[in-house]
Amino acid sequence: MSEKEESPKKKSRREFLQDVGIVGVGSILAGSAIFAGINYDKKKKLGDRIKVLTAENELLEIDKNDATKVGKFKSQDLTFLQKQGREGIPGKRWVMVIDLSKCRNARKCMNACQGAHHLRPEQHHINVLKMQESKNTPPYYMPKPCQHCDNPPCVAVCPVDATFKRPDGIVLIDNERCIGCRFCIAACPYSARVFNWTEPLLNEDDKDKTYNVELNVPQRKGTVSKCLFSADRLRDGKLPYCVSACPNGVYYFGDENEDAVTNGTTKETVRLKKLLEENAGYRLMPELGTQPRVYYLPAKGKSYPFQDADKPEAEEHI
Amino acid sequence: MLDQSKKDKITSDLLGSIRLNYSFMIWMAFLVTSFSICIYAYITQLQNGLAVTGLGDYVSWGIYIANFVFFVATSLIGMLISAVLGLSGAKWAAPLARIAEIIALAFAAVAGLVIVSDMGRPERLIYVFIHARIQSPILWDVTVVTMYVLISALLLYLPLIPDLKICHDKLVKIPNYLRNFYKILSLNWNGSLEQEKIILQSTRILAILIVPVALAIHTVTSWLFASTTRVGWDSTIFGPYFVTGAFVSGCAAVIIAMFFYRNNYKLKDYITEKHFDKMGKLLVLVSLVYLYFNLNEFMVPGYKMKKGDAVHIHDLFAGSHALLFWSVQIFGLVIPILLLLFKKMRKPLPMLVIALFVLFGAWFKRYIIVVPTMEHPFLPIQNVPLNFRIYTPTLTESLITLAPIILVLIIITILSKLFPIIPVQETIDHLEESN
Amino acid sequence: MISTNKIYTTIVIAVFTVLLSFQSYSQNWDIPANKSSKNSYIPFNNETAKAGEAIYTKNCQSCHGNPGKANSLKTLKPVPPDLSEKQTQSRTDGDLFYIITTGRVVMPSFKIVLSEEERWKVIAFIRSYNKSYVQVLSKTDPSKSKLVKIVLDFNAKNNKIRVYAKANEASGVVLLKDAEIMLFANRYFGKLQIDKTLTTNSEGYADFNFPKDLPGDKTGNIDIVVNVNDELYGEIEHQEKLNIGIPTDKPALNEQRAIWNTLLKAPIWIIVTYTSLILLVTLVLLYILNTLRKLKKIGDK
Repeated sequence: MSEKEESPKKKSRREFLQDVGIVGVGSILAGSAIFAGINYDKKKKLGDRIKVLTAENELLEIDKNDATKVGKFKSQDLTFLQKQGREGIPGKRWVMVIDLSKCRNARKCMNACQGAHHLRPEQHHINVLKMQESKNTPPYYMPKPCQHCDNPPCVAVCPVDATFKRPDGIVLIDNERCIGCRFCIAACPYSARVFNWTEPLLNEDDKDKTYNVELNVPQRKGTVSKCLFSADRLRDGKLPYCVSACPNGVYYFGDENEDAVTNGTTKETVRLKKLLEENAGYRLMPELGTQPRVYYLPAKGKSYPFQDADKPEAEEHI
Repeated sequence: MLDQSKKDKITSDLLGSIRLNYSFMIWMAFLVTSFSICIYAYITQLQNGLAVTGLGDYVSWGIYIANFVFFVATSLIGMLISAVLGLSGAKWAAPLARIAEIIALAFAAVAGLVIVSDMGRPERLIYVFIHARIQSPILWDVTVVTMYVLISALLLYLPLIPDLKICHDKLVKIPNYLRNFYKILSLNWNGSLEQEKIILQSTRILAILIVPVALAIHTVTSWLFASTTRVGWDSTIFGPYFVTGAFVSGCAAVIIAMFFYRNNYKLKDYITEKHFDKMGKLLVLVSLVYLYFNLNEFMVPGYKMKKGDAVHIHDLFAGSHALLFWSVQIFGLVIPILLLLFKKMRKPLPMLVIALFVLFGAWFKRYIIVVPTMEHPFLPIQNVPLNFRIYTPTLTESLITLAPIILVLIIITILSKLFPIIPVQETIDHLEESN
Repeated sequence: MISTNKIYTTIVIAVFTVLLSFQSYSQNWDIPANKSSKNSYIPFNNETAKAGEAIYTKNCQSCHGNPGKANSLKTLKPVPPDLSEKQTQSRTDGDLFYIITTGRVVMPSFKIVLSEEERWKVIAFIRSYNKSYVQVLSKTDPSKSKLVKIVLDFNAKNNKIRVYAKANEASGVVLLKDAEIMLFANRYFGKLQIDKTLTTNSEGYADFNFPKDLPGDKTGNIDIVVNVNDELYGEIEHQEKLNIGIPTDKPALNEQRAIWNTLLKAPIWIIVTYTSLILLVTLVLLYILNTLRKLKKIGDK
């Protein structure tokens, strides 16, 4: 349990270090060392000397013939990350399905998300709401991430192209571009966006990190942040942080082009259209024409009771 | 023909204000001191982020934006008086044109700064130009406000050219650099017919051009709200609703300015009770039109009571914003209209009081437009601290809101110290014509 | 007196019935006999139990708690049992394997999350809390799985995939009969099961209905994965790319001109209107500035 709670944060940092430090520089060195070892005897003449920076920040000089290029050291490059963030993952159309009948307000999704994106406790990329439509209809829990609309009102109003829609459907924010006018917050009908009113939570720890558009870390004071469908995880073929953290099988995530979504808890993959058809899937506030990429399955036959303590808050909105 | 002595009297009367005196010094010292306090408040905001305000993730626009709307609104009066009244041949308004133009220029120019104070990353302001997305209403706003400032400045400057020459010729006691300043700005004015024709023609072109641009600045400002789907903002009449509201606050601002110039600059013969009477009638007219749009804005959704609208209207009419809402509507709109129907009330002093009520009401009306809507998003506000649900402006925030208002006063004060507030040449010409 | 006694008896019976029905609710797993008798090919010892513990901590502990500590998550209905208790330990290994595999109500299925080997290791860990337990090993020999060859044959007429499973023994080709076969299509985050789990017939094959509308890549290729589970040969996995999907090449979601798109993809009307208005105003302003220049020139004379 405890591992599940803290893993996303730790993992992301660990992965980051792995990706950046070890895979990047380390493999250049390892590769060159092996290469040098094997080719030592075959080497015919000495070439130019080149300088190599190790993961431990040591500057080494080695013979150019000894070095093998094992890939570009790209993870540290802001421009590369920004470009990659805008291009998205080709051929994909990400889609999320949230099964309201399974949600019991365990909030593992919220914790995992806040951990991964270094958010303050009151900042929610995903927020589990207590909902009730009318006096006679039952209350239910509704996790609400960014809807990643295909007709996004938030993107429309951005004056500087800081928030944008990618080819794969994800709406992202480049917080190196954001001017903090908060027009997008005003325009979003789903209240999906948050703002960094103060210095972000882990700013001290994050200060040497290169900003990753797909993770929105480090967060920046005076800029907007929101759910990213864990674009960084998708790149690695992994399900979003919230989806994998859920212990109750609430979330399905997948690619509309493949007509398949995978449940984050059971890892079972099902056909998207069939899932929506059999469970009367719907989208939030369709009358606004925002075309969300998040679908909901109604809370029919809930597997968990709605807690009595949560009822007043749910009723408030009737 | 007017005799020379009368001309000289007019000239010396109207140029009388262009001198340094103690009251000006004290007033400026007061303004500058209070402005620096506000600037200090802004520095703390720069250091600590917008957390120094009462804003949160739900009410993310507050009094800065309300202030911005108020500024743009008030600046619209320049267009109404110098263009609409000027083009329609209402000669009585001619002496007020420069006051209106100065107010327009000051408010429009400072409106840009108000928006900067609301930005999370003001140092990235340049991005609005280098990464511009012309689909964003913010960009339209930046564009048209810039245009409006430029046109207003020209519209202030062009009729000023003959007066600048007079300033240069008559004000012999002022320092030389100031006289040179007037000389350069007067562009070798010699009063020839050819030059007069140029001024007349250019002013006319600008007066025509400023009408659509002025309508645009406030319509676009209203679109900052109306382009969203939010309850209370999602309205098709927001453009005219804002524009008519703008004339109300602009008229009030001009009346207040008229009162103080009349008393402090000893211009009782030039800004007469007749002017107040006319401005009073004008204020009634624009207020009635605004009242009509208010009726539309609240009656239509109030009749249907759609889910979100119902929450919003309940809150305004009987909820947490009811006191402010009704005060603004009654004391800022209905009572002023009723009072100004009486001739006795259209005298300088009563009108000053009424105009102050209208102007304050206009400011709080902008608050009523911006804040309550943000407190009622479509989805419930949950799992956040209480201060995210209910917006209360902080002291720092209020000081930062005050800063542009003080800056406007500084600009108006300086401009009206540098230039004659009533057109000199024009007054003489008019008198000659009527004789 | 008699009547009171009768009522008393009725109440007692009623209460017992209710209790029993609760009992049967949590006991009632409806496990098929052939699944119930299934045994592990992995020996349950300290080593496998330890490996199982790690898997348990990650996947099971949040609900079931630590065995023997009675700290399972009581808010769930039904309450997850403490796995060291008799309720669990009295079941066969096959029962436990089935329960973990299929799941029910609040118990998730681990069919895809955990491999068969991992599931057995979890059972090894659970059994380590039962001192009187004696393991019966299955006769499956995992090393023999290498001998099995899987062949796929797609019939476009009826959209069926026939999967043959044969073992190339030294003595000759042996057809795998009654082997469990699952067919999957690879998707980005996991395997999508096609049709249902089938068993091979006496000729060593099974026919899967393949959906007619399953999207493939740009050319219609789909990565097919076959999982065979045989009593004797153990688990066998086979992968193959087949051109049987719907060719899918949807345009990017930000391709069209739209009000929300980037500047370069702005609607034409907005670009035209905006630039022409700016041009118009700029030209007028330039004209005015020019007249001012003229004005000054006149004065110079």
